[in-house]
Amino acid sequence: MSDTTTPAAGRSPAPASPAPGKGRRLGLLPADPQARRFLRLQIATPFLAILFASFIGSLIMLAIGKNPLDVYFEMFAFSFGRIDSVATILFRATPLIFAGLACAISFRINLFNIGVEGQSLIGAVLASIVGFAFKGLPAYIHLPLVIIAAMVGGVLWAWLPAYLKVKRGVHEVISTIMLNYVAASLVHWLIADVFLDKSQVVGVGGMGSPRVRMPLIQPSARIPTMHGFFAHFGINFPSYVYVNWLLFVGIALAAVLYYVIWRTPFGYEIRAVAQNPDAAEAAGINARRQMFRTFLISGAIAGLVGLSDLLAFFGYLDIDFPRGRGFDGIAVALLGKNDPFGVILGALLFGFLSRGAEGVQVFSGVPAEVITIIQGVMILSIVVAYEIVSRYIRVQKKKEAQ
Amino acid sequence: MTPSTGAEIVKLEGITKRFPGVVANDRVDLTVNAGEIHAIVGENGAGKSTLMKILYGLYRPDAGSIYLRGTKQSIDGPGRAVALGIGMVHQHFMLIPAFTVTENIILGHEPNRAILNLKQVGTHIGELCRRYGFTLDPGACVATLSVGEQQRVEILKVLYRGADVLILDEPTAVLVPQEVAELFNNLRALKAAGKTIIFISHKLDEVLEIADRVSVLRQGRMVGTVEAARTDKRALAEMMVGRPVLFNLAKTDVAPGDVLLDVEGLTVPGRGARPVVNAASFKVRAGEVYGIAGVEGNGQTELIEAIMGLRKPSGGTVRLQGQPVTGLTPGELRRHGLAFIPEDRHKRGLVLPMTIWENLILGFHRDPGFSRPSGLNLNSIMSHANEMKKRFDIRLSRLDNPVLALSGGNQQKVILAREFSHDPKVIIASQPSRGLDIGATEFVHQQILEAQGAGKAVLLVSADLEEVMSLANRIGVVYNGEIVAELAADQVTPQELGLYMTGSKRQSREGVPA
Repeated sequence: MSDTTTPAAGRSPAPASPAPGKGRRLGLLPADPQARRFLRLQIATPFLAILFASFIGSLIMLAIGKNPLDVYFEMFAFSFGRIDSVATILFRATPLIFAGLACAISFRINLFNIGVEGQSLIGAVLASIVGFAFKGLPAYIHLPLVIIAAMVGGVLWAWLPAYLKVKRGVHEVISTIMLNYVAASLVHWLIADVFLDKSQVVGVGGMGSPRVRMPLIQPSARIPTMHGFFAHFGINFPSYVYVNWLLFVGIALAAVLYYVIWRTPFGYEIRAVAQNPDAAEAAGINARRQMFRTFLISGAIAGLVGLSDLLAFFGYLDIDFPRGRGFDGIAVALLGKNDPFGVILGALLFGFLSRGAEGVQVFSGVPAEVITIIQGVMILSIVVAYEIVSRYIRVQKKKEAQ
Repeated sequence: MTPSTGAEIVKLEGITKRFPGVVANDRVDLTVNAGEIHAIVGENGAGKSTLMKILYGLYRPDAGSIYLRGTKQSIDGPGRAVALGIGMVHQHFMLIPAFTVTENIILGHEPNRAILNLKQVGTHIGELCRRYGFTLDPGACVATLSVGEQQRVEILKVLYRGADVLILDEPTAVLVPQEVAELFNNLRALKAAGKTIIFISHKLDEVLEIADRVSVLRQGRMVGTVEAARTDKRALAEMMVGRPVLFNLAKTDVAPGDVLLDVEGLTVPGRGARPVVNAASFKVRAGEVYGIAGVEGNGQTELIEAIMGLRKPSGGTVRLQGQPVTGLTPGELRRHGLAFIPEDRHKRGLVLPMTIWENLILGFHRDPGFSRPSGLNLNSIMSHANEMKKRFDIRLSRLDNPVLALSGGNQQKVILAREFSHDPKVIIASQPSRGLDIGATEFVHQQILEAQGAGKAVLLVSADLEEVMSLANRIGVVYNGEIVAELAADQVTPQELGLYMTGSKRQSREGVPA
């Protein structure tokens, strides 16, 4: 992302822009007709971009001899017509919410933390260690401990690039990418050598091979599913999908971050430093310190990315633990325009696309890669569309002021 | 008609140019006679530069026609303008420092031969210099030239291309008085040789000195053309602004009080071995405006940044109200009562994409009045912003528009409102009226004098000598990072200041008592 896009990304987010006027703080829509028009435009932007991406996807489907309308119908029917699909979408969105928030908060201050991937792995390792090593703790102590351990892991892995950035001017993109590789190898070694669970009983009569994994996480550190909660609303998710309370935590975290960014001096400083570090500095804001802190916060959130899979699904950390969430988080943050609630929508969209891809692969015979292409086009077109709209609004506002 | 004017050479008729949201030129008519010096004056944004860029082919007009020597022309680019004998000297020089004067002049118009005979070209340029009385060595490297000499290279460039009509865009903005005098001599020589000069400026004294006729633009419209000999500064200013303008600011006579800002031996390292600020010492008292005059780039920026805690000095001390504050952060200095109007408001003063109300609390956002443990106190912030809007007459449509939507004058008012509203003791104002129109400049000057009258210590840095001389009580002149002279503002002439500013003269001992 070049810096021409950052002022736009830093401006008011689409769904609920900052609301200084009295009416805006109470109501959802601004009172001013022009501001309302801009808001509508901003909300419409991602949808138009999604339509455009779907159109490109259609061309590809036509090229491989499929009827795009049928495929899209199948995609929607499969994703929303089945309760297990809905649950799957929510489950898949959960880690992406954390990954997206971790990226978004760093992008907010113009730091491109590409290392959410590595930070989440280290977070998962620490969580796993605390999860299996402490025995006999009550859940209300053990589970928070595991969550804190995950955050500490993320912070640890974010600290070095943050320090190098602020003190030595090392570009965070380079250092975090490199540390992603280091994290991957380190985790492999920790799982395969240091903490390998040697007590596994292998197959019948010694046949088969053991899993390369750490010991099982104690039941007291496993996170409960949300099935009971949803049952109150008459929604009965199947037991084989593990929608869990981290979804709720992620949404709550998004709300907290939204408040921090727009309503606290800390968030004010993040925005000021992002958009003009020189002026922020002259005004007495310690820009470097603010960057450092925000980087660590990003790392802490990144540490939480793996928890949904670790604590709700697998119950152990093995070498096949899901990868790539950190990178998906970058796309989710872009889609969400670095707005916490936008991130949630972006994560849900990704959840839907991945579930829908399975559907069309099985039932329409369209390779899942086509959906991946749509995903890519969608990210590109949304980023471009955001930029066009924010430039348009900037020009309009300038006109109005003159 | 004055004797110097001949037949009309350039005629613009009904020129209109629209930019998104603005009409930069609105049916502008202009006639320039051959062999005259024709000044075009107007405030920032009045459309002077746009009009000249249209004549030079950089912009196409939306309506209107251009006549040259009586023939209608369509000028679709600078190349066409040059072919027609029009040349433009831009405000910002476009020279290659490592090249010699000759190489720079022929750049883009090299003689079309296999072997470049620089000596021959140099002789030709030397002739041009002699003809118009330019003191310039064609073989000198541009990097070694002074600003005034570089400007001469730019003018020669235009002459070399055979221009009869020369457009000069704010040529005096970068010059010290002596250089201005030399430029004017050159222009008179050109005029005597039959060249036509269009001179863009907003400095009325200079315009009255050099021009034969003056055309005034206001908000994109041509107000009128007058003969310089038959008008005066006051009348021109009124034409420019559309209302009478005060020229003599009322300085309140306050007996200077305690020393509030004391800078002693402040040294700031530069990139090379020589420091950019070299042992600068001065004192600013309560109720006093201390002006720092100097050609830009002589260490003023670094000096102010060092005082503000934005740059590390290698030696010396800064005291605020007697307390040593060297090395404190900008935030801590603010809490010691230091206010700062930066020279570049877009770089250091404002966060342009953020809203007006957010910019009004920048740096004070953690004050108990604006923030509570639970977050920003929007109610009190908004009422403060509304109060500032009234008190400083900030013209805005909505407080939650980004500050970039404001005009330069109103942006500066946002900074003044922010910096002046927290009862500072010492105010550092760096180029406070740069790029502002007359109205906003007046306002800024009034605010500075009000602060001085209220017993604050003001450190004023300005490249505009007139500004320094009319506001300051004492003036320190910087040259090459050193304060070479300290003078009482009411006992010094611009010419004398110019000598110090160019390093031709320096005081041997301490200046006027603080």
